[in-house]
Amino acid sequence: MEQTYFHAIDLINDKCKGCMHCVRTCPTEALRIRNGRVHLDDKRCVDCGKCIAVCPFGAIVASSDPLSIRNDYKFKVAIITAPYAGQFTEDIEYSTTIKSLYHLGFDRVIEESMATNIMTKMKRHYIANNKDKKPILSSNCPAVIRLIQVRFPSLLPNIFHVEAPMSVLSMYYREKYSAIEGLDPSEIGVFVAVPCIAQVAAVHQPQGAYKRNLDGAIAIRDVYNAVRNDLADIRNLDYDFITHENGLSRALSGQEADEVGNDQIRTIAVSGIENVIDILQKVEDHILDQYDYIVLRSCTSGCVGGILNVENPFIARSRIQTLIRASKHHDHELDPMFSSYLNGEFDVLPLEPRSIMQLDTDMKQAIIKMKKLNEIKEQLPSIDCGACGAPNCQALAEDIVQGKACIDDCVILLKKNKNKKSD
Amino acid sequence: MAVYCNISEDAQQKYEHFTKEKPNPEMSIEYKVGHKDFVNSGKASSEIKLMLKRLGVNPEILRKVAVASYEAEINVTAHSLGGDIICDIYLDCVHIKFIDNGPGIKNLEKALEPGWSTADDLVREMGFGAGLGLPNIKKNADVMHIESAENQSTILQIIVFY
Ligand SMILES: Nc1ncnc2c1ncn2[C@@H]1O[C@H](COP(=O)(O)OP(=O)(O)OP(=O)(O)O)[C@@H](O)[C@H]1O
Ligand SMILES: [Mg+2]
Repeated sequence: MEQTYFHAIDLINDKCKGCMHCVRTCPTEALRIRNGRVHLDDKRCVDCGKCIAVCPFGAIVASSDPLSIRNDYKFKVAIITAPYAGQFTEDIEYSTTIKSLYHLGFDRVIEESMATNIMTKMKRHYIANNKDKKPILSSNCPAVIRLIQVRFPSLLPNIFHVEAPMSVLSMYYREKYSAIEGLDPSEIGVFVAVPCIAQVAAVHQPQGAYKRNLDGAIAIRDVYNAVRNDLADIRNLDYDFITHENGLSRALSGQEADEVGNDQIRTIAVSGIENVIDILQKVEDHILDQYDYIVLRSCTSGCVGGILNVENPFIARSRIQTLIRASKHHDHELDPMFSSYLNGEFDVLPLEPRSIMQLDTDMKQAIIKMKKLNEIKEQLPSIDCGACGAPNCQALAEDIVQGKACIDDCVILLKKNKNKKSD
Repeated sequence: MAVYCNISEDAQQKYEHFTKEKPNPEMSIEYKVGHKDFVNSGKASSEIKLMLKRLGVNPEILRKVAVASYEAEINVTAHSLGGDIICDIYLDCVHIKFIDNGPGIKNLEKALEPGWSTADDLVREMGFGAGLGLPNIKKNADVMHIESAENQSTILQIIVFY
């Protein structure tokens, strides 16, 4: 049976006008217009969210868990990813935005930034001990992980194969609070406020570094709204917590590379999925072998560019940089967990390829298809008009070879042939 | 005319079989390589690799093809007046020929030594010229065959079995 893939994307059929914006934008060519409506190829989609951003008609929308999902659990833990800190105007203190979450009914608020220190230490250790797999590719962006699975399966061994900070945090705090509160681990709900749909998908259908140990993924913009409406009520309330602005660098691609890099570790920071594809191509061609660590993020500027955020990524980045600059370093209770990493407790299984590249599992068939593909390409007009519903002539040729379309879908060719007949 | 041929140990039998059978290639693709065109150099190798990937050739083999053909393509760009690449795809191997328009290799034996290079300033500026290209091709290709002479074209052929 074909495996099914979870995507945090909803297609609203009656809003789609068949305009091709999304089809042309999709970096993995996962979208087609058929009979005037958009179709998504489950296997190709990596949840980068670009289609959602370009759809002028609201026909492609992001899905995430509602804030109310917390009500199903006795003890509620919120994990806040780093971009959250960049969403609020500077007159609202970061600590206030955390305080509000307690007021909104979360029993414990965990900042993903708490894990940055220990993650940096793990990455450095991992890079030093896996020189044979150099360059090591960052694993934090689930869209990038899926992109590697579908388009660059040969690079799967290069991925930093250690649990994501969210998973480490969730494992640690679920255990801790079930002990303190005397609750069954299943009565503790751990939710993460996420900046993008790739993270929603990763929580619902984890791959490698994301174990299924989170109970929901809530959009940062939904949390933002609730917090904005709550601010007036919390001025005089007192909760006991400290904040970890120091580790917010995770939200910014360049910053992570700077933190992990040193004399021994040469890094590159890459953001934006087209740039990521270009770099992965070069890694595959072995022209970046001199680098040790490459930070890859599907969204522009890193996670601040995710579509479930509220603020413009460049403004959010500036705010986060200000917070980091003003921050003090705090030792964290997680820091001693480095030994758990060394014991292999954070190891993840090797990632499975999900290649969309292979034309056929049988090489003979693949060669036949490749020849046919080239022949069809010769016939097609090569103007990439998109009238057939595929992003370009090459993609239509492939669809035809794979039996998903026919040559008559090419309007230009059809017209040409008609004219010939009537002559 | 100087000739050099190296056949890796593992490939001896396969190569013998291949030369005896003389199969027709399933597909044949040609590329042009421009003199000192460093902007486009590497594209043919990249396309060859992509095509083999689409045919389902496994990553370890792809890596060998990618490395060997990239080095060979760069050599045509860097050291010759330009030339052609012909890539023949068979069911069990890929055969790539790099045929340039001269000026040939004066001393083939020396050229094959690791660290030996005649790269000019421009080539060095582009980050090449360590003299490791040909040794790297030898390491990655199952069969490597070069023929060259001063003021003639150089023909480099590589075969990698899947
Ligand atoms: N196609 C060619 N035409 C003429 N000379 C060549 C050709 N290929 C290689 N050579 C000669 O052989 C020498 C060694 O080639 P090799 O690829 O090993 O090193 P390189 O190209 O100089 O440096 P690197 O490949 O490490 O960047 C070159 O410097 C050049 O003199
Ligand atoms: Mg060379």
